[in-house]
Amino acid sequence: MNWALDFYNYRIVEQYLDRFAEGLENTLMAAAISLVAAVILGTMVALCRMSARAILWRPAAGYVAFVLATPLLVQIYLIYYGLPSLLPATGRWSELTLGIIALSLHNAAYMSEIVRGGIASVPRGQIEGGKAVGMSYIQRLRYIVLPQAFANTLPPLLGQTAVLIKDTSLLSIIAVFDFLSAGLLLNSERVRPNESFLTIALGYLAIYVVMLGLSWAVRRWLAGPAWNAGE
Amino acid sequence: MGSQALACRSGMERGGIAVQHYLDVIVAILPFLWAGFVQTFLVSLVAIAAGSVLGFLIGVVRSQRVPLLHQLFGLYIHVLRGTPFLVQLYIFYFVLPNTGIEALQWSSETAAFVSLSVYTSSYVAEIVMAAIDTVPKGQWEAATALGFKRLPILALVVLPQALKLTVPPMSGVYVNIIKNTAILSVIGISELTRQGEISILRFPSDVLFIYGVIALVYFVYCYPVLRFTRWAEHKVGGTRVVNLD
Repeated sequence: MNWALDFYNYRIVEQYLDRFAEGLENTLMAAAISLVAAVILGTMVALCRMSARAILWRPAAGYVAFVLATPLLVQIYLIYYGLPSLLPATGRWSELTLGIIALSLHNAAYMSEIVRGGIASVPRGQIEGGKAVGMSYIQRLRYIVLPQAFANTLPPLLGQTAVLIKDTSLLSIIAVFDFLSAGLLLNSERVRPNESFLTIALGYLAIYVVMLGLSWAVRRWLAGPAWNAGE
Repeated sequence: MGSQALACRSGMERGGIAVQHYLDVIVAILPFLWAGFVQTFLVSLVAIAAGSVLGFLIGVVRSQRVPLLHQLFGLYIHVLRGTPFLVQLYIFYFVLPNTGIEALQWSSETAAFVSLSVYTSSYVAEIVMAAIDTVPKGQWEAATALGFKRLPILALVVLPQALKLTVPPMSGVYVNIIKNTAILSVIGISELTRQGEISILRFPSDVLFIYGVIALVYFVYCYPVLRFTRWAEHKVGGTRVVNLD
């Protein structure tokens, strides 16, 4: 068993357990807040993007293109180092706050693409069919457009959430104490790369497995009961 | 009236000075940005080449549903997709040399290149497998009826049809790789983002401006590829073969 302890000494990890917990808490908090903010912002961007007015859709399209075509790390730097020179008051905000802002703005663009895809995926014939059977606008929205748009949005939304959780690891670069930072701390104090980085990888994998299970359950739920499963 | 004109002129002069200042900064950092861009370009190019070859092989093997290999490579893909690239980079850079094996004592360049290629391969493998699965079963059956063996069918019938479908998602992966090269700055690869950090040490008051220029350079590199992705998606038939996160 000695070689196993040489490779991975769980006792060292045990000593840092509360640091890992603290980091995990920050990671999950950053992910949760920026997820909610990104969905709200993203829906607004999507609605602007789908508008017929150039003054609405052009800025929205430009914003989405900018976010999609530049690295998240540069966006985080722009917010963390750049925002205080525009708004001096933000210089007092914590790294975590600025990091969450950067993640929210980044993911809003991705969410807007997902929401836009979901709304656009409802065929026009569905709406016309609703009109033909005498449904009002609200009824069409409630019983025809929104359920289908929702069903088409949820799976990619969960996928993007998994990416978002992974992306929070970049916040460690701007000195947010996230899950990865806990491992970096262990490595810098004990110089035990295996214990620090393999533990982190396992932690992220565990989160990933939970997300996989969730998306599997959601896909089953959306597919409806078995009698509805036939193509 | 006169004082107003004076104020206006001094405002213009201030504006002129500001523009002059930004021009000076641009001229001063341009050689560094260029060097950084070249590095980013080379790393992304090499990573997509190596990652595509590796991912293509894994994807083809996985598409054949060879019992043990299929699950093994499935695990490989899940592990690479379930962990952040930054963590993978740290593992390649810190954990592998720690094994004590001489061949794994990599420089930061090698670690960066290998980790980015391995990361890329997981996406490419999924794309290639999904594209092969999209080719109708009748193609296999017809070729089998004509007396072809499995490998000739794959090489002559299925892959030529499947590879066309991989073009849009592959260019999406290419954008992803370019963006991920920014993370390599963490282990000291002197690519675009790292060069920006160095430039900011010289011009600390122009942080926003310099990162803005860096973002612009990435945008100029990525946006055409992004547009090509959209165009190719439209051309191939609009359906995404695989969800690219």
